[in-house]
Amino acid sequence: MTRNIVFSDISKSFGSVNALSHFSLSVDEGELVTLLGPSGCGKSTALRVAAGFEAADSGDVLIGGVSVIASPANKRGIGMVFQNYSLFPHLKISENVEFGMRVRKMSRTSRTARVGELLDLVRLAGVADRYPHQISGGQQQRVALARALAVEPRVLLLDEPLSALDATVRVEVRDEIRRIQRASGIATVFVTHDQDEALAISDRICVMTEGRIEQVGTPVVVYRAPATAFVARFVGKVNDLGVDVVSSTKLRLRGHRFAFEMKPGAAGAGAAGREAQMLIRPEDVRVAAAISTEDSENGIHGVVRTINFGGATTSIDVQVVGTDHFVRVADNTRTMNFQIGDAVIVEFDTERALLI
Amino acid sequence: MRLGRFIAWLVVGVVALFYVVPMIAMTRFAFQRIPVIKLSLGNVFDKWTVAPLFESFTESEFRSSATLSLMLAVATALLTLVLLVPTMAIAHLRSPRMRRLIELSATLPFVVPAIALVVGFAGTFRETLPILIRSSFGLVPLYVVTALPFTHRTIENGLAALDLRTLVNASRSLGASWTRTMIFVIAPNIRASIATASFLAFTVVLGEFTIASLLLKNTLPLYLAYAQGRNPQGAFAVGIVLIIVSTIFVALSNRLGKVVRA
Repeated sequence: MTRNIVFSDISKSFGSVNALSHFSLSVDEGELVTLLGPSGCGKSTALRVAAGFEAADSGDVLIGGVSVIASPANKRGIGMVFQNYSLFPHLKISENVEFGMRVRKMSRTSRTARVGELLDLVRLAGVADRYPHQISGGQQQRVALARALAVEPRVLLLDEPLSALDATVRVEVRDEIRRIQRASGIATVFVTHDQDEALAISDRICVMTEGRIEQVGTPVVVYRAPATAFVARFVGKVNDLGVDVVSSTKLRLRGHRFAFEMKPGAAGAGAAGREAQMLIRPEDVRVAAAISTEDSENGIHGVVRTINFGGATTSIDVQVVGTDHFVRVADNTRTMNFQIGDAVIVEFDTERALLI
Repeated sequence: MRLGRFIAWLVVGVVALFYVVPMIAMTRFAFQRIPVIKLSLGNVFDKWTVAPLFESFTESEFRSSATLSLMLAVATALLTLVLLVPTMAIAHLRSPRMRRLIELSATLPFVVPAIALVVGFAGTFRETLPILIRSSFGLVPLYVVTALPFTHRTIENGLAALDLRTLVNASRSLGASWTRTMIFVIAPNIRASIATASFLAFTVVLGEFTIASLLLKNTLPLYLAYAQGRNPQGAFAVGIVLIIVSTIFVALSNRLGKVVRA
C-alpha cells in the first residue's frame, strides 16, 4: 500500500471564522511537505483534521488511498509529534516509546527490540530508563519522534515540533528530523510559522493564509518565484517599494525622479499611470559607495541608516535621499564596510523583482 | 510590625485553645478510669486505659456500623472518581462552559442543607426506585454530592496542572481508545489528586451524621451518638480515634495537594 496523504477540498470553520477553505494538497511517500503561514492561517487546523482531532465541515482525507475522514483518531494509522512536550510524564522514556506498541498488543520481545532500534535511531539509547523531566526539551522531542515512528505510521504529522526549543537545539533537532524522515521514507506533513525552518527542511512548501493555499512549490521556487505578494512578503525578507508605472519598461519610484528600467513585458507592469508595488529581495540589491551625486541608470542615491551584523550575512538599511523609502541590502561577501551616515548608491537587479 | 505579629499569634493561640481544650477534656474522659467530677490537674497522669475503646470494639453494633461506614466510604470514593474524572476531563477538553457549570454545581452542596437534600432524594426515589431508600448504599449518591465541593476542587487542580489536550491527543494518535487513555494516561498523571479526593470523600463519609440519621441508616457517626447513652467512655474513645484518622486523611490530602501543585 502506498503511504501517502491527500487532503481533498477540506473546509472547516469555527463559528464565523473560516479556518480552512477548500484546502487540497497531496503528500507523496518519502516526501516532506511543510505547511507554512502566519498564526491563524489554518495550517494546524489542516493537521488536526488529518489526525482526526477536528472534524472537517466538508472534504476528505485519504491515507494510502483510503478515506479516513470518518475514522476516529486512534484508527487512522498516523504518527504525530506535537508543539508542546507530549511525553507521558509518568512513564520512562522506553515505556513512552513502547506505549503505541502495547496498544497494538505486540509481544514483549518485539517491543523491547523495537524500542532499542528507535532510541538508537534518535541517538538516545542512553536515556531509556529516565523519566521525561530528566531529559532536555530537544531530547524529549526526539523521543516523541521515536514514539510516533514506533507504531509504523502510514503518515507522520509534525505540529511545530521545534517551536519550544532554543535556537541551537532547534537546528540540531530539525536536521535530526530530516535525517530520520529520509531514512524512514515516510510521507510527512510539517507545520511551522518559521520560514527559515520551512526552507531548510522541506521537499515542498505549502504557503497558507486565511485558510487558503497561496502557493505550493519547492523551497527554491517559493523563494525565488513567489506566486503572490503574500508569499514574497512572508517567505524571506523583501523590499516593498511603491512605484508608478510610466510605461511597460519604466517604473518611477513614488515621490522621486528615479526610474527603474524593466525588461519588456515585465510581469505585472500594467497600464501606464497605475500605482504598483515592486517587491525585490535584499540580495538582489547591491550597494556601493557613492562616487557622484547623480543617480545612475539603475542606481539611486541613499544614506546608510542601519547596519545589522548577522554573523554569516550583514544587511544594511539605506534611506533613499529625499524620500521615506528604505531599502534593505543583504551581503555576505564581507566587502561591505560602511558606516552609518555614509552616502551610497543602490542598484537593483530588476529582472528578479516582482510587480503587483 | 512586631505588635501585628503578636496579635496574629494571640489569635492563633486562642483558636488553638478553643479546639485543644475540649479535645484534652474528651481524651481524659474517654481514656482515664476516673469519674468526671473528680478529674483535675492533680490526676492528669492517673489511671489511663484503652479498655473503653476495646469495649466498644467488642460491641456488635460498633462492628456493623463501622463496617457499613467503611464500605460506604470506599463506594463513595469510587463513585466520585468514576463520575468526576472522565466528566471533568471531557469538560477540560471540549467545553469551558461545561467546566464552569460543573464548578457551580460542585459548590451547591455548601448551600443546600442536608435535610433538603434528603427530602428531595426520598421524595424522588421512594416511588420510582425504592431500593435507593431501603438499601444503606442508597447513601452513596448523597455522600458523593456532599463531598463534591472538596473532591471537585482537588480533581480540577490536578487536571489544570496537566497539558491535558496534548497528552490525550498523543495517546489517541498512538492508537489508544478513550477508555485506555483515561485509565493509562490521565489517571496516572493525576494520581495525587485522585488519592486526595478519595481521602476527602472518606473523611466526609466517616463524619456525616444528618443524612444517615434522616434515612435511618446505622453508620458509625450514628453509633457514636447512640452509644453515648449506654457506654459514654467507649463512644468518646471511638470518636477520638475517628478524629485522629480524619486528621491523618486531611494531612495526607494537604501533602498530596502540594505534590499536585508542584
